[in-house]
Formats: sequence, C-alpha cells, structure tokens
Amino acid sequence: MYVTLRKIKDRFSNAWISAAQFFVFALPVAIFISLFYKSFLVMQTSGIGDLLFSSVWRPMAGQFGFYPFIISSLWITFLGLVITAPVCLLSAIYLTYYGSNKLSGIMQPVIDILAGIPSVIYGVWGVLIIVPFTGRYLAPLFGYESTGFSILAGGIVLAIMLIPFILNILIEVFRTVPAEQFEASLSLGATKWDSIKNVVIRRSFPGIVSAFGLGLSRAFGETIAVLMVVGNVVGIPENLFDPGYPLPALIANNYGEMLSIPMFDSALMFAALILFVVVVIFNMLSRGLIIYLEKRQ
Amino acid sequence: MKRLILFFGLFALLLSQQSCIDGRKSGFDEDGNLYGRISISGAWAMYPLVVRWAEEFRKEHPDVRIDISAGGAGKGMADALGNMVDIAMVSREITAVEQERGAWFIAVAKDAVLPTFNTNNPLRDKILTHGLQKMHFQQIFLDGDRQNWESFFDVSGDTKMTVYTRSNACGAAETWAKYLGVSQEDIRGIGMFGDPGLADVVKNDRSGVGYNNIAFAYDINTRKPFENLGIIPIDINESGVIDPEERFYNDLDQLTEAISQGRYPSPPARNLYLVSNGHPENIAAIVFLHWILEKGQKFVKEAGYVMIRDEGIAAQKEKLPALPRPKLN
Repeated sequence: MYVTLRKIKDRFSNAWISAAQFFVFALPVAIFISLFYKSFLVMQTSGIGDLLFSSVWRPMAGQFGFYPFIISSLWITFLGLVITAPVCLLSAIYLTYYGSNKLSGIMQPVIDILAGIPSVIYGVWGVLIIVPFTGRYLAPLFGYESTGFSILAGGIVLAIMLIPFILNILIEVFRTVPAEQFEASLSLGATKWDSIKNVVIRRSFPGIVSAFGLGLSRAFGETIAVLMVVGNVVGIPENLFDPGYPLPALIANNYGEMLSIPMFDSALMFAALILFVVVVIFNMLSRGLIIYLEKRQ
Repeated sequence: MKRLILFFGLFALLLSQQSCIDGRKSGFDEDGNLYGRISISGAWAMYPLVVRWAEEFRKEHPDVRIDISAGGAGKGMADALGNMVDIAMVSREITAVEQERGAWFIAVAKDAVLPTFNTNNPLRDKILTHGLQKMHFQQIFLDGDRQNWESFFDVSGDTKMTVYTRSNACGAAETWAKYLGVSQEDIRGIGMFGDPGLADVVKNDRSGVGYNNIAFAYDINTRKPFENLGIIPIDINESGVIDPEERFYNDLDQLTEAISQGRYPSPPARNLYLVSNGHPENIAAIVFLHWILEKGQKFVKEAGYVMIRDEGIAAQKEKLPALPRPKLN
C-alpha cells in the first residue's frame, strides 16, 4: 500500500516537472507565433522587404518603414557595448586578480545595487546628467551642435546599465580559471599582465564572448531609459550627436494610443517581431561562437 | 504537495469570486438604489477629471463601483470596442476606422493645447506682446526653417530655437498637429515622453519651444502658469500684436472662459470624449453619463478643464439613451 502511494507521488511529480519544463520551452515559441500572427496584416500589405528597408515612416498614410528605427537600435546597442566592454573587462580583471578580498566584499553589493536599480531611474539620471553633459561639453568638443538628446547619450546610459550585468558574468567566468594554471604561468617567469593576457583571457574567451553576447541581447531591447534620452526623432542619424529612435521606444511610445487602429497595431507588433528575431539571432550567434571556440581549445 | 493544492484551490476560488463580481448586473434594488459596476479605461489627459467625477458620483450612489485605469486613448478605445470595459476616455477625435467598428461617443468637456516657451528667454517681452501666428508655428514645428527667435520680431541677435514635441502618440500632439494642418507624425522636434516630460524640458531650456495640455502648463492651485514656463499668445487676427481680446493667458480662469466662448481657436482646443461599443447598456454607466452631463459639469472648471457650452451639452444628451429610473412598486 505504502509503495503504491509513493509510486503515485513519484509519477505525479514527474508529470509536474515535465509540465514546468515544457512550459518554459513553449513560452518563446508562443511569443513568436502570437507576434507573427498579429503582424501578419502589415506584412501582407507592405511586404517584408519594404518594411525593413524603407525609411518612410508615415503610419497615417499607411507607410511603415522600419529602417531608421533598426539603424538607431543597432547604433545605440553597438555604442553601449563599445563603451561598456573595456570598463567591464578591466574591472573584472582587477576585482579577481588585483583587488583584495575586502574590496571584492565591498564591490559585490555595489554591483548588485546597480543591477537592481529600476531602468526608469537610469533614464531620469540620464536626462539630468548625461544629456546636458553630451549637449554642452561633448558635442562642442567635436564641433557639433546638439541638444544632448542623442544616440550617444542613449549609448552612454545603456553602457552604464550594462555594467553590473556583464561585470557579474565576467567575474564568475574568471573565477572558473584554475589558479594552478595562472600560477604555473607566473612560475615560468611571466609577468602578472602576461599571465592574465595569455592564460586567463585565452582560457576564458568563450565565457567573455557569451557575457557580451547576453549583454548585447539585453541592450537591444532596453526600452524606457534609452527612450528618455535618445530624442525620439524618426530619421537616420548622421552622427553620434543626432537624435535617434530605437525600436523598443517606438513600441512603448505608440502602443497604448494606437492599439485601436488595426494597421498601426500590426506594425507595432512587427517591430516587436523584429526585436524578437534579432535577439534570437544574437543569442544563436554567440552560442555558436562559444561552441566553436570551445572545440578549438 | 498539500500546500500546492491548497494554493491552487485558493487561486481558483479567487478567480471564481472575480467572475461573480463581473457577472453581477447593474440596476436598481428594491429600494430604488442604483448598484453595479462601471469599468473605465483610456487617456491620461482625462484621468484626473473622471476620477473626480467618480468620487462625486459615488457620494450619491455608494453601491456603484467604478474602476478607472489610464493607459492611453487608444488602449481605452481598444478595450471598449473589445467589451473589456464599459467606457473609454478618448482625448482626441474619433477616427473613421473606429466609428466603423462601432464606437459610440459623447463629448463631456474640453481641454486645450497651449504653445509654451521658457520665461528666461531673452525675447520674453517681445513674445508676450507680439505673440506668434499660425503660420509661424507651422514654420517652427513643420518646416524647421526658423533657426532663432529673433527672426520673428525683426531684431538682431541669435537666440537659437530648440523645438520639442511629444515622443509618444497622444491626444495633445494630435490636436496640436491638427491646428497646424497635419498629423502627429509630421511634427518635428526632439521627442519627450509624456506631458510632464515636455513641460520639464521647456522649463529647463531657455531656447525651448513646445506645447502642453492646460493641466501641465497651469498650476491648478495658483491658477497661473508654472514657474519658468510661459504661454506663447496666439495672434489670431494676425495683426502683429496681441490685442486686448487675444490677451487671456494670465490666469487659468480667464483662459478657460476664452476657450469656452470660442475666442481661443479650436483646435488647439479640443473635445474630450467618453466612448462605448455601441450604445451603452450598463444601467449604472448610463446613469453616470447623464450625471456627468448635468451635475458633473460643475466640477470641470475646478479640475482645470473647460466646460462645453449649454447648447453643446443638449446635443450630447440627445445621443444618450434615456435616463433609466428605478421601478418602484
């Protein structure tokens, strides 16, 4: 009797666990299908090529060109990553190989706090500090005139938001490098920097790639903080001090108001679909790269 | 496992409870008291006004529950057309597509969009005495061929002009665009999120020009424009100066009176609508709509909005289903 009850319990929890697993797996598929379904109307009317590569954005006239938004998004993401990459890499190295344990003890909560700050606060702070700084100091330095609401401001705010995210992963990655290998390198007479460059970084390169890959996906979709500082002007930015209009901002700015107009609604869902697909591609590329690098090692 | 079952049990119970409330019809009980539930969703611009109305209405009908959420005019419209809510708050004109889909609407109050500038602008006095004409606003917001403020007033100098607009689709931008003869997507300028965002950036940029709803340009308590924010008077008769009849921006009450009498052009003054999917059928909602057009009007001005004139109210009432009355034995 007791045995059968145990068996029933076991079977029940097995079912339970697989259901949970299936749910996690089905979620992205369900999101993709619903986005595709909702954006079908605009794809059918305008054609995917036109939607992706036309720069005419006149929704009331039924012209939906997403090119300026895609370019803005790519620019801001690229800038954010370029600014954040050296900072994260160097401070992760410092924290794991140079700093004292006490410093790590202080820094870990600081990084966690940075990670926990809501993105709207980064946005407000960006409007108060980064935007005026970009407009008043950075732009004149390079000979441009700008209000400061620009893709550069968006990139900087994004870079700051990415720091805790990428830094945490990098620290974990560096901790997995066996101390023996590092010490072996030192004992052969290599300097500390040589050992870091040739042992630690080489050894953890796939991990570094995956950290930045994950950061990239996250950056591409960041919405509210970027929206607040980027200027939201439809057009292809000519330089870093021009305002831009990334895809997530487009959705956030229009979704509530335009929900009731079927074509506009469908176009916004298409923007969401682009975001989704790009993030999936980023993820697959970095995963592929990791597999390749690990094999080569 | 027991806990899990308990948890789901509770959850199911809650859900069924929820559907019970939804299923409860509205109407009058044996004593003639109105009961029921009204759900409202829509424009941010109307939220404070409708909340005020709901509070006052519930003083008379405490058994009516009114749920109000703000999420944008289009969200409200979609909710109403999808029968998710009884009433939508829509702060822009109802589009042809929406009317085809069965949107029924009445105007309940007015609001206005006002062009704004920063009062530390070196040309402040010129701006206030001469105002700007519609043509000038078109040059500023559409063509972008005005680089500085001086060019409007025949003086020398170069105070750069920075144009700000709303980044998010909204009734205010749509109405301002309509005044200029275009739609929101044609307005140029740095896009700021929300009414407060646009007001703030103009308050902080000496060279800025933008536009705001009344409630975000004037302080409801002092009835004056907010500090550092100035209203650009519109030179309606294009005489080159602001004549006495065009001068009503000093305080909120003068302004609302001018809008109500039609001395301030419309657009940028605009109607605020309540919308439902076909004629409203929820009895409590119909009573509420009647109440808004009668007793509710006296709270409009206090809340910083503009009343519709009497003949306008009569026209709206005609569109409403007859006021339901309790059947008393």
